[in-house]
Amino acid sequence: MSGAEQREIDDRDVSIETFVEQADPYYAPIFEKVQRGSLPRWHQNIWALIVPWGWAAVRGVWLLFWVSLAIDVLALVCLMQVIKFSPLLAEAQLDAASNSTLVARYSTWVTTYSWAAALLFIGGRLWMGSSANRWYFSQYSRWRIDQAVPSGVSMKRLIIGLVVVAIVAPLTTYRATQLRLDERACFNQMRAGEAVEQLLPAYGAGDVTSLMGSMDTQISDMQSRFDALDAITNRSEAQNTDRSQLRRELRDLVREREQVGDFQTISAVDRFDCAFIDDFPTLARLDPPADITYRRVADEEAIAAGVEGATKVITQVKDPVEGRKVTIFTYSAESIDIGINKLRAQYAGFFDAMTSVLRQSLIRVEVAFMQTPWPVVAFLFLALSWAFAGHGTTVFVAASLGFLALFELWQIAMQTMALVVVSTAVCVFVGLPVGIWMAKNKWFRWITEPILDVMQTIPSLSYLVPAVAFFGISQPPAVLATVIFAMPPMIKLTALGILQVPESTKEAALAFGASERQLLRKVELPMSIPSIMAGLNQTIMLALSMATISAFIGAEGLGAIVTSALGDANAGKGLLAGIAIALVAMMIDRILKGIRNSFSRI
Amino acid sequence: MSVVELENVWKVFGEKSSEAMAAIGSEGIGKAEVLERFGAVVGVKDASFKVEKGEIFCLMGLSGSGKSTLVRHINRLIEPTAGTIRIMGDDIGAMKTEELRATRADKIGMVFQNMALLPHRSVRDNIGFALELRGVDGYTRAQAADRALETVSLHGYGDRLPSELSGGMQQRVGLARALAADPEILLMDEPFSALDPLIRRNLQDEFLGLSQNLNKTTVFITHDLDEAIRMGDRIGIMKDGEIVQIGTAEDIVTAPVDDYVADFVAGISRLKLVSAAKIMTGVDEFNANNAGVDLSNGCPEAAPDDDLDTLVGLSTGSDKPVLIKSDGAVVGIVTKDTLLRGLQGGAEA
Repeated sequence: MSGAEQREIDDRDVSIETFVEQADPYYAPIFEKVQRGSLPRWHQNIWALIVPWGWAAVRGVWLLFWVSLAIDVLALVCLMQVIKFSPLLAEAQLDAASNSTLVARYSTWVTTYSWAAALLFIGGRLWMGSSANRWYFSQYSRWRIDQAVPSGVSMKRLIIGLVVVAIVAPLTTYRATQLRLDERACFNQMRAGEAVEQLLPAYGAGDVTSLMGSMDTQISDMQSRFDALDAITNRSEAQNTDRSQLRRELRDLVREREQVGDFQTISAVDRFDCAFIDDFPTLARLDPPADITYRRVADEEAIAAGVEGATKVITQVKDPVEGRKVTIFTYSAESIDIGINKLRAQYAGFFDAMTSVLRQSLIRVEVAFMQTPWPVVAFLFLALSWAFAGHGTTVFVAASLGFLALFELWQIAMQTMALVVVSTAVCVFVGLPVGIWMAKNKWFRWITEPILDVMQTIPSLSYLVPAVAFFGISQPPAVLATVIFAMPPMIKLTALGILQVPESTKEAALAFGASERQLLRKVELPMSIPSIMAGLNQTIMLALSMATISAFIGAEGLGAIVTSALGDANAGKGLLAGIAIALVAMMIDRILKGIRNSFSRI
Repeated sequence: MSVVELENVWKVFGEKSSEAMAAIGSEGIGKAEVLERFGAVVGVKDASFKVEKGEIFCLMGLSGSGKSTLVRHINRLIEPTAGTIRIMGDDIGAMKTEELRATRADKIGMVFQNMALLPHRSVRDNIGFALELRGVDGYTRAQAADRALETVSLHGYGDRLPSELSGGMQQRVGLARALAADPEILLMDEPFSALDPLIRRNLQDEFLGLSQNLNKTTVFITHDLDEAIRMGDRIGIMKDGEIVQIGTAEDIVTAPVDDYVADFVAGISRLKLVSAAKIMTGVDEFNANNAGVDLSNGCPEAAPDDDLDTLVGLSTGSDKPVLIKSDGAVVGIVTKDTLLRGLQGGAEA
């Protein structure tokens, strides 16, 4: 062995020593064997075999820590199932003849869980004991590259590990020993708690015991008054009224007293169960927002004064339901409803104008698509694909058009096209400038990016509802919903395209005297055309996929067939319309790709 | 009037650059302290130089020395933190946007290391870009572009896309683009650094020829001392944002101002750089040390600004020392010893 080779090995040993800090004589040869691939599978790291998660925490092998903890907790849960079902099995077996189904079921469960627990425990241990050194070696390799990777032995990590175990293991294990909780019980607990909270200040009591005391006194006081009244044989009219009122009050009071009694007797275990192992405990109960409705009505005064068709918004406030409490969710939802209602009434003119603009443009485009004779439309499609996208695509387009014609979906497909064209046009007209602005302004980008993410990920059905609230049903809100869904890629890819223009190219343009405007028009936009076209393509595809969903709010076209097929459970009808949508999408996609390729110079 | 003139130009990068600059002005704090106190980086430190008409001024320095930053001050792609830059007498810092753009388009052409051509435009449209920005019509543009293509020996390539051209050809296009608007000043930011050595040499020679014909004022950035010496009438050596020495190649090679520059020029061949005047011994001194040597006949003769290469040629053919004559009178003498020491360096007068 040469000197250099020896030195290299010495260096490595030193670094292993630094890495493991303790038990170097064990790990140095182990690491070498792992590297040589000669560490036998049966070799066990004794600490990892006994307390794998403890070893992993001390050594900072966090992935192994979580895996081993999961295995152990799983084994424990299986064991708890055995413990839970064994007494039930014993009980059922007392009368095995009449409980045969139960006995069979419980004994299967007990056997299965016993095996699972044993397998997880023993197999898991063996696997972790033999894998630990390999995982540790890969951590060592990472540590050599990046010294921030945990190394050595650390008591701090052990404590962190134990805290994690303390949070995870006991609660999970405890939950596994419990049969399903009675949902009603937790609800009653909550009600009793609320009642006590209201009664405490009413009686001026400091705690529940004194509350019960004063309630008891009041009850006995009332009872004696009632008894006294009751004892009178011939009561006057007033006394009769008094008596029945007293009886009512007494009944209410006794009921409240019972609730307080319930609250007092809730066991600590039940409280614990409801708070920690059932659903997340309810945190807050709020007074609901004031129930206000806004309506736009004719403004008689103004009309009388000569303003024709004047309207005004009137506000109606309804009294809240006595004692109604709502969750934060309900509170927010109701507030949003009221807000939408208010906006709708306040800016009715704006929304109506927008609806009518959309409707008018839709009608124009629909006319263009639907009233152009079908041979002309078909010819245009074929000519476009022939000119830009080649023979293969032309054949495909011809076949797709044939499908639409043959299945008599032509006019309906054209309707869908019109919806897509109008939505896409809106997306381009709004998305392009927004995208440019986004690329140019860091702050605007910072604000817009999360909004776009929300626009794309929020379920489309959930913003169909506000779209209906603002714009009513039928085509215009469908266009808007489609625009919201389909615009993000247009904006994002425009911004991306502009941001991707190399700094040096922009610098060169500026060095030759370009203004900001010229820079945008002559350098940035042309250079981002491939990206913008990709965005346009995506937008069209998304608009088409939205066609089905917007049919839920009355959009016409192929989507409507799918929706109605869904309602009637007509699989065939739905499938055919779905295929038609896919074909329309693919036709547009292929033709656009062809156009993009033949114009792109980059 | 110098064509390009920089006066005490400073550039401090960072959010608190103006505070840092004020502190530098009043307290004279150093780079390290500027970084520590203001989190600002000094990119250019007190740079001043002038470039005369027709001159090629080389700014030489290693990467990170601030040479590219400095050259971008000349056309105000970067705003100086302090100092004045004048282009043909006009303060470029005081110009309004419109005026600045006109100056950039009409008076200054720039060539970039990575060419920075517009990939979506033909070669001809790339070259005509500056003219297009000034609103020149298409016909005139095409004419000017074709002329510029001719100048850089790329006749007939006007309709290609930049991506169809090799690196060397692309840089010729870059040069043609800078020349098309016939600017007074050329800023060359490491134009040949990305090319392979043979093509680089070719382009250097071609550019030298061009520059003599066109009489452009050039600021030439390079990290290669050989290139700087080949190209530059004068060379400015930059280190850590500071110009440490300005002078002709000979000045810098024979009288480096500090160890840094000395290290730089250590490997440079002096044959073509150093002149006879720098190494010759005075006649009286020679006579005093070498009594009895006959200088009256058979001695080779040379002029004071002949380089060492010439002297070596003369000296090898003769046993006698070389006489350095100016206007017919002997002004100095170079013996073989002096010549050898001069080649080695460190023996200059």
